[in-house]
Amino acid sequence: MSPLKADSDVERSSAVGMTGDPPANSGSGLAVAGDPHRQRGGTTLLDRLEPVIEWIIRLCGWSAILFVFAIFLFVFLEGAPMLFGDLDLVEFFTSTNWRPDSEIRPQYGILALLVGTLSVTSLAMLIAVPLGLGAAVYVSEFAGGRIKETLKIVIELLAAIPSVVWGFIGYMVLGPILIWLTGAPIGINLLNGGIILALMSVPIIVSVSEDALRAVPDSYREAATALGASRWEVVYRVLFPAAKNGLLAAVLLGVGRAIGETMAVLMATGHAVQIPRSVMDPVRTLTATIAAELGETVAGDAHYQVLFVIGMVLFAVAFVVNLSADLVIKGIRGGRNE
Amino acid sequence: MSEQPQVVEEWFLLPGAESGGMGTREAPWGSVEEALATLARRPGATLRDAAAGGRDVELVCLTDAGVPPPAAQAANHRLYIDPHATVAGNGTEAKPCQDWNEACQTLKNRLRTQQFRLAPGERLRFHVREAFTTTRFEMRKRRVETFARSVFLMMALLLVAPVLLILGYLVVQAWPVLTPAFLYTNPQDYMTTGGIWAPLIGTFLLVLLSLLIAAPIGVLAGVYLNEYAGQNWWTRMINLAVVNLAGVPSIVHALFGVGAFVLFAGMGRSLLAAACTVAVMTLPVIITSSREALAAVPMAFREACWNLGASRWQTIRTIVLPNSISGILTGVILQVARAAGETAPILFTGAVFFVPIADSGLPYWLPYNWDDRFMALSMHLFTLSTQVKDVGDEVKFGTAVVLIGLVLAVNSLSIGLRVYLRSHKRW
Repeated sequence: MSPLKADSDVERSSAVGMTGDPPANSGSGLAVAGDPHRQRGGTTLLDRLEPVIEWIIRLCGWSAILFVFAIFLFVFLEGAPMLFGDLDLVEFFTSTNWRPDSEIRPQYGILALLVGTLSVTSLAMLIAVPLGLGAAVYVSEFAGGRIKETLKIVIELLAAIPSVVWGFIGYMVLGPILIWLTGAPIGINLLNGGIILALMSVPIIVSVSEDALRAVPDSYREAATALGASRWEVVYRVLFPAAKNGLLAAVLLGVGRAIGETMAVLMATGHAVQIPRSVMDPVRTLTATIAAELGETVAGDAHYQVLFVIGMVLFAVAFVVNLSADLVIKGIRGGRNE
Repeated sequence: MSEQPQVVEEWFLLPGAESGGMGTREAPWGSVEEALATLARRPGATLRDAAAGGRDVELVCLTDAGVPPPAAQAANHRLYIDPHATVAGNGTEAKPCQDWNEACQTLKNRLRTQQFRLAPGERLRFHVREAFTTTRFEMRKRRVETFARSVFLMMALLLVAPVLLILGYLVVQAWPVLTPAFLYTNPQDYMTTGGIWAPLIGTFLLVLLSLLIAAPIGVLAGVYLNEYAGQNWWTRMINLAVVNLAGVPSIVHALFGVGAFVLFAGMGRSLLAAACTVAVMTLPVIITSSREALAAVPMAFREACWNLGASRWQTIRTIVLPNSISGILTGVILQVARAAGETAPILFTGAVFFVPIADSGLPYWLPYNWDDRFMALSMHLFTLSTQVKDVGDEVKFGTAVVLIGLVLAVNSLSIGLRVYLRSHKRW
């Protein structure tokens, strides 16, 4: 690492003193502007452009906010004519009739889709939360050395498998297995989607809850162990209460991931607009509806706009879930600092 | 350390037997009192030795027919003796007797006051606790511990094992088509046969283009958040926005792409529009990992550099970035893996079911312009498995395996890099 290139460009010696803007705590007030050593420090074009570059960096830093607003804005703008126009919001949220292509009277009731999303998500969470928390506890508290590293890497790789591949697995592998196991006529249904979604949301649950468990100070563990608690008692009596916010956030993030998942549920849930009566019924979710139908619509027509309204609903739900997860995490962090 | 000593001495008694017994099964003692008296008298062979050796002694009361209770039967009565006890006790687990004499005395007292009686078919155990031996309470705790541990292990395995099995199954199913030719041949006969060259190169171009867009913005955003941003509400908002950007459903990103890039920016359904959409989607990954990589550079490095008179940007350019570049790279690589696998965001922004491309020449190597519609591997897998009829299973499985292989290879690269970095950290 050569921090400063040897280069005899003198003109910069004062410029550095001007633009050099280190934080107050850096103690660099000790560096005197006329220091002879500084003249040997090289300047390049990159240095002279510092103000410009700093603005570029600033803009990039703000880009996340920009994009979140842009996403909201564009989805809103495309759907707004329908939202404030023909769409009957009561029917939209309470009717199970999703007939967007009807020639006589198209109906846009998303209740069945909402229930579809909720049922698949709940089923997935029913499977994923205990398994994910258990795996996180094992990785964080029980496993050691090589097993721990291996498990962490495998779970991380699980997270990397693309959702379309999960959908493919549900469609081509899990479906036939379910038919073989239960004798049901179709294998792509609520249960299939739930299992696939569970496997997909487990990695995030594991990694966030493991972080939460690791964030509990070791002195807690040591104190409990000194009182004679076994590892399990430490986990159950000390770590769970201490990390409960982090664990809750993990569950919330898992829920967020499951609600927003598209390709996997599109391929694995069977795609029938109905309120499921058993786990073997096929269902359809909000995300899958957009994915399946946007291609058939013409930009600007009613059906197209309704799909954007569904997008708004999804955006809002995801926003609320992520916001609460963030608040829950920040809540403990703030509390601990005090 | 086990709960029960390996060796248990058994002595027998039969109520009403004539005195002068030997304590054996053939010549049992007549009562507990006689047993105690005899055992205490016999030099070298009995209780004291047992105490020294940590052995338990059992008094077995034969039934009237002279039959001992089954050997497996747990002792009906226990007297605990702890040589390390510091106070006299009453022989219970919580208050053990200090030695054999005390135990015998306690027992005699109880016999006399009729608090204790060894009925036929019962066993009385003198349990000698070794130093630091486990109590039954601790044993229960340990059993719960083992149980909990195995349950958690099961949970972890339950997640990992089926997935590994499924991946293995996919590879087995795909094995017939997994040849190099599968990679460099175009799909043929309405995609029912042939290889995956066109979607493969499409995915490659998509990833490259989205990387070119997302990486600079993401890394600079990481620089901003770690090096420039103060601790204020605005930074908090940015962090919140990053978290939310990561949590926006992929299909909403697709809607955004349609609204913003395809329609508003006038890109149409094209490679560029899809790349922009994917770039926005993967931006939070890069921002978060870049910021972490930058935060790992010790503050002292920056302070040293500032003290030499370098400006903030000079410090970042010459000290902070070079020291964190590999950490940033791991995040960028993760972005690549994610971009390669995404389907929903490109569904309506540029990827299509099928675009015929040339089988040779430059159009073979570079089939898509930035404003062309294109094929992508993830989309191709979706199309093959749900939209096209009569596709051989092995072609579908082959496509899936190549996609997984690609993504996992890129991810492993990232993980490998991270592990390497951790082991070669210089500070």
